[in-house]
Amino acid sequence: MARTMRRKAGIAALAVTTTALAGCAGFGGGGGGDEGDDTLSFTTWASESEQLALEDLVAQFEDESGATVELNVVPYEQMFSNIDAQLASGDAPDVFRVDYGNLGVYSSQEQLLDLSDAFSGDEVDAFTPALWEAVSFDGAPYGVPHQTDVSALIVNLDMLAAAGIDASTLPTTQDDAWTWEEFADVAAQLRTALPAEQYPFVVNWQQGGTPRWMSWLFQAGGSFMAEDGTPTIDSPEGAAALDFTRSFFENQWVPPTSTPAGTVYADSLFSEQTTAMAFVGSFLVPDMDYFNEFEWTALPMPRDERGATDLGGNALVATAETDQPELATEFLRFMVTEEAMSTFCAATNELPTLTALEGDAIEFAIRPDVMPVFVDQATTIEPEDVRQLTSPAMAEISVAMQRELEAAFVNGQSTEETLANLDAAIAEASGS
Amino acid sequence: MTQAVAHAEGVRPGRVRVRPGQRRARRREGLVGLGFLAPNLVLMIGFLFVPIVLAVQLSFQETRGFGDPEWVGAANYETMVQDPEFWRSLANTVLFTAVTVPIELAAGLSLAVLLNSVLPARGLLRTLIVLPMVISGVASAMIAVILFYESNGLVNKVLEAVGLGRIAWQSEGAPAMLSVMLVAVWLRLGFNMVIYLAGLQAISPELYEAARIDGATRWQQLRSITVPLLGSSTFFLLIMNVIASFQVFDVIFVMTGGGPSGATSVLVTYAYRNGFLIREQGYGAALGIVILLITLAFTFLQWRTNRSRDQVG
Repeated sequence: MARTMRRKAGIAALAVTTTALAGCAGFGGGGGGDEGDDTLSFTTWASESEQLALEDLVAQFEDESGATVELNVVPYEQMFSNIDAQLASGDAPDVFRVDYGNLGVYSSQEQLLDLSDAFSGDEVDAFTPALWEAVSFDGAPYGVPHQTDVSALIVNLDMLAAAGIDASTLPTTQDDAWTWEEFADVAAQLRTALPAEQYPFVVNWQQGGTPRWMSWLFQAGGSFMAEDGTPTIDSPEGAAALDFTRSFFENQWVPPTSTPAGTVYADSLFSEQTTAMAFVGSFLVPDMDYFNEFEWTALPMPRDERGATDLGGNALVATAETDQPELATEFLRFMVTEEAMSTFCAATNELPTLTALEGDAIEFAIRPDVMPVFVDQATTIEPEDVRQLTSPAMAEISVAMQRELEAAFVNGQSTEETLANLDAAIAEASGS
Repeated sequence: MTQAVAHAEGVRPGRVRVRPGQRRARRREGLVGLGFLAPNLVLMIGFLFVPIVLAVQLSFQETRGFGDPEWVGAANYETMVQDPEFWRSLANTVLFTAVTVPIELAAGLSLAVLLNSVLPARGLLRTLIVLPMVISGVASAMIAVILFYESNGLVNKVLEAVGLGRIAWQSEGAPAMLSVMLVAVWLRLGFNMVIYLAGLQAISPELYEAARIDGATRWQQLRSITVPLLGSSTFFLLIMNVIASFQVFDVIFVMTGGGPSGATSVLVTYAYRNGFLIREQGYGAALGIVILLITLAFTFLQWRTNRSRDQVG
C-alpha cells in the first residue's frame, strides 16, 4: 500500500513538472508573427494620451484592412531590454516603436525590415528630409518617422514675476530668443531672488536624455563627429559648450540632483516648483497642463552662434524576421498618412514629420497657445545635427558622454580632460 | 568504501548479501526519490545550470544580444581588471556588505530577544517588522524614493521641521549610500528576526533558570547562553546576508540608479548597466560570473571554517 502511494506520488511529481514546464512556454513574452495570416503584433511604450490615440488608429486600420493588430503597451524602462531579448530569441513583435537614437543600433545589425521598395520618391519627399535621414542607414530606410518633438524652455510666470522679470519682455520666437549671455543674466537674477532650496532652471539631460547636451554644443556652432566618424568635439566650440553648462552647477543655477546621471527628472523639479524654468519636450505639455498648479508658458531655447534643440521623437519599424512583411509595411504606411499623423500629433502635443503638416496645420488638443514655440524651435534642427545624433554609434557615445559630463559637472574634471576623453570615446564607438 | 558502508550498517565485511527482492525494492525507492527530486532538478537545470553555462560562454564574446556575436576570448575579463568603475563597484559592494550585515545581525537579534519576552502587542510588532519582507523590493524602494527625495521628501521635511538642515540624499555620495543601506537593513531586519526567534525558542528555559540561580545578570545570560547557542542561526544568517548584500540590486537600482557619480554603484547594478543599458552583454556576463565566483568563494570559506556547521538546524 505504502509502495503504491509512493509510486503515485512520484508520478504526480513528474506530472507537476510537465505542467510547470508547459506553463513556462509562454515566458518569451513577445507577440511573434505566428498568430495568423492577418495578425500583427505591435509593441510600444505610451503616455496616456499616446495610448488612446494609438488605440483609435489601430482600430481604424483594423476596420480598413480587415487585419488584427495586437497592441502591446509596455513601460518605457523595459521597452528596449524586452525588444533586445525578443530579437535574440527570435520572438520579436512584427512592429515596434523606437527612438531615433536607438534605431541605428538595430538597423546596423540587420534587425529591421528594409522599406526601400515601400515608398516612392515623391512619398519620401513628403517627409522632413532630416527625419527621413534619421530612419535611414546606408541609404536605405528601416522605418517611418512617426513623430518628432523638440525641447523648449518653459517658465513659471509667478516665480519670474516674484524675481522682478517682466513677462512682456520674454522672447516668443527664434528671432528674439535669448542669447547665452541674456539667459545667464536671467539665471543670475533668479538666483539672487530665489531661496537656496529653489533654483533658476533645470536641463532635461538626465539618463537617456544625456544626448540633449549636444543642443548646447550645436548652439555654440560645434559638432561632435564628422561624416567618416572622426571625433570633432575637442574644439573651441566644445570647450565653450562645456564651460557654459558646467557653470550651471558652479553658480547653483540648476539643482545638484539634476546631473546627467541623476534620477530626478527636469519636469518633476519644475512641477514641484523647485525650479523657475525647465527645458522640456513638447510631449510633456499634457503632463505640465495637468500637474502644474501655477501659470506657465513656453519660450524658445537660448541661442549662441545659432539656434539648436534636441532631436526627440520616435519612428515605427518592422522587424526583419516578421512573417508579415506586406501587412507590417501597410500598417507603417497607414500610420504616417497625413490624416493619421495629424490625429496622433493633435492628441499628444507632438510634432509631425510630414512637411504638409508643418506650421499651424495641426490643432493641438492641449495648450495650443504654447505649441507654436515648439513648432518654431523644430526649425533649428539641421540635417548635419540629425546625421550625428542618429549614428549607430550614438548609444555608446551617449554612455561615455553621461560618464564624462558627470565627472566634469560634479567631480571637477577639467574641460581639457573631459573633451579629450569624449574625443577618445567617440573614436572608439565609431571605429574611426 | 564498501567497508565503511558495511560498518555503518553494523554488518561484518564479507557477509553482505542483498536478496533480489530487496534490490528491486531499493531500485523502486530510488526511482520514487528521483521522481520527487525531478521537478526541482529539471527547473534548476533549466533555469540555473544551463543559464550559468550560457553566461560563461557569453562572457567570452562581444555581443549586443542580437546580431552576430564575436568570440573575444578573455578580453572582457582583461577589460574588467583595467576598468576603474568595476573596482569602484566592487569596493562599494564590500563597503555595503561590511556595514549592513553586522547591523542586520545585531538588530535582528535585539528585536528577537525583545519580542521573545512578554510584551504587549507582541504579535502586532512582529508582523510589522516582518512586513517589509512580503512587499516587493521594488515597491519598497519606490516608497524609499519618496521618503529620501532631496528637494521635498519626507525625511528632509522632518529634518527641517526640527531645525536641522537638509541632507543631500540624491546629490552627494555618502548620504546616498547611507540611504540605500538604511533601506536595505529595514527590508532584511524581519528575516533576521524570524530566524533568531526560531533559534531562541529552541533554547531550553532551564538554562536561563540555572544561570539566574547562579546570579548571572541579563547581560551575562545573553553573552554566555543566548549568543553561543544561537551560533548556528548566526552562521546561517551571516551567509544569507552576505550573499544578499553581494547581490543587492532592486533597492539601489530604483533609489539611486548607482549614482550620484557612481557612489552607490555595486557589482550587480554595474553588470545590469553594461548588459542591458549599454548592450555590452559579453562584459555584463563576465561581471555576473565574477559575482558568482565571489559569492561561491565566500560560502565555501564559511562552510570550511565554521566549526559549528554541524549544529545547523
